Amino acid sequence: MSFTPHHTPFELDPAQLRELALDFASNPIYLDNKEWENEDNPYHRQLRPQIIKYLDFSKPLPAGEILDYSALAANRLLATIYEADLMFLPKKGMTDSTWAGFKNFYSSTNRARGEMIRPYLEKHVFGFLDDIEVSGDWTKESLAAYLGRIQGQATEPSASEKAIRESSDPKRAARNWLIQFAPDFLSEASPMIRNVMGYYGPVQSEWFKIVIDEYGYGVHGTKHSTLFENTLASVGLSADLHRYWQYYLTSSLMMSNYFHYLGKNHELFFRYLGALYYTETTLVDFCRRAADLLTDVFGDDADVKYFTEHVHIDVHHGRMALEKLIMPIVDQCGESVIPEIVRGFEEFQAIAQIADDDFAEQVRWMDAGPRNKVLHAPVWAKIESGEVEAPVAHIVEPRGELSNTHQHDGDELCHIVSGTMRFVSGYDSHQILEAGEGTVIWRNRLHGAIIDSEECVYEIHSVGDYRACLS
Amino acid sequence: MLVVNFAVEGAHNCVEVDGVPYVYARTAKGSFVMPALCPHRGGPLNLAEVDATGGRAVCPWHERATSITRLRRKGIPAVRRGNTVTAVLPVPADSEVTTTHRPMSPAFCGGRAA
Repeated sequence: MSFTPHHTPFELDPAQLRELALDFASNPIYLDNKEWENEDNPYHRQLRPQIIKYLDFSKPLPAGEILDYSALAANRLLATIYEADLMFLPKKGMTDSTWAGFKNFYSSTNRARGEMIRPYLEKHVFGFLDDIEVSGDWTKESLAAYLGRIQGQATEPSASEKAIRESSDPKRAARNWLIQFAPDFLSEASPMIRNVMGYYGPVQSEWFKIVIDEYGYGVHGTKHSTLFENTLASVGLSADLHRYWQYYLTSSLMMSNYFHYLGKNHELFFRYLGALYYTETTLVDFCRRAADLLTDVFGDDADVKYFTEHVHIDVHHGRMALEKLIMPIVDQCGESVIPEIVRGFEEFQAIAQIADDDFAEQVRWMDAGPRNKVLHAPVWAKIESGEVEAPVAHIVEPRGELSNTHQHDGDELCHIVSGTMRFVSGYDSHQILEAGEGTVIWRNRLHGAIIDSEECVYEIHSVGDYRACLS
Repeated sequence: MLVVNFAVEGAHNCVEVDGVPYVYARTAKGSFVMPALCPHRGGPLNLAEVDATGGRAVCPWHERATSITRLRRKGIPAVRRGNTVTAVLPVPADSEVTTTHRPMSPAFCGGRAA
């Protein structure tokens, strides 16, 4: 036999990775949108390919940079790649545009290119979790003690909940909050279903029971995604898939992507169990508070059944995750799998904390719109006088030009030379900037803009830290 | 069993349970929770040095050596996230717990004194 096997790991060098990511994102369905929202077209997602050549996805982002633009771009790419495994259809029938999008989104070219870059994107945005270290001799008893401590434990209101209650516009803040859940809740349990395929014994059937609950026992009106659609509609939001894509924060996509990451990579199966237990157990208290919060903000018009249903069913799901999935899988596979379960439990806590803090900061950012507009003047004065020197981009755009949402890795100053800009800092949140005006832009805060005059000439000054300019 | 949280570094880097202090050690071969008392005569294991092989922690009192691999793999079940350690100790859940500070040898804090 003359055959010599030559099996090597799949690897891309940074240049190949960048080129493939650019190829993937340059698909016509991923280009910049002319509108803020995607209307009944589940295949359109704005990936801003024009920026990808400046990004390096080849290394894990350190924890301190996990909300930088590179992470937003990578999470948008990952969400798009994972969701090519899911089935989406427009609500109002196929148009020429959605037919083309359908064929394109589910094409072999789109899927193959996505799969080639996915492992690198996953390392880029989830590699920081390797800092979590599990050690020692774990047994079923120590695992039960470790996991059991959060059962029935009342939790404090999250930073996001406090930010909504303290916001100058709680309704706007709450709508933006619900928008952040849409990537997860509208296709709820889809990542989990990745784990009920295959053949691995009684735990597989037990896990399927949780899926049955999530899918409303085959009755569409009780499917959890339907309950969430009702919540969205009751507060004036639409449930088109990814209608609000441009308003998703980095960390909201990261939360949703995390479960796809665990479910797609079956070597992380045991981590999924730990993360599942954490989310099912803590959701009970969270959903109780969420229902109260939405009712307080919107009154009785808010349909909160999605959340009250989870208060009930997740009591069972937390118990089922522990007694029917985790402990039996340890019996089946041995205690050597426990460190992975523990790691998943810790990983999702870390991600949930990042997402909570990120959204709370975004509420403060939206609320600070008028003040940031006022702060333009003193920062601009320092730049004009030469006391502050910062890299500057001079930009000229026509009426209707829409800068799809993005964020910067440092503070910036936007200065309008002529014309009018509508500066958008979240859903239903904007400032009108006229010639001579502008705004401070905070680091890592999602924003976009649209030109409201025939032409707008403006400058973006990368000041790094705007507070330093004021001292 | 008792689940405790304490800091990797800083003022609360030691948890004392029923009089036994526990600390988190970080070495080139991995990290782990260990009692800060040598089982030989109660010497301060938190100040132990690592021997030339890098594989054993040596108590400063009587130079008793303990395998780091054993401490890491067969030691107290624990997980570290950031500066927080969660450990599951083999004592009753209602045991008395206090947190204190113990200095760590450079060998146990990634080469930095804490």
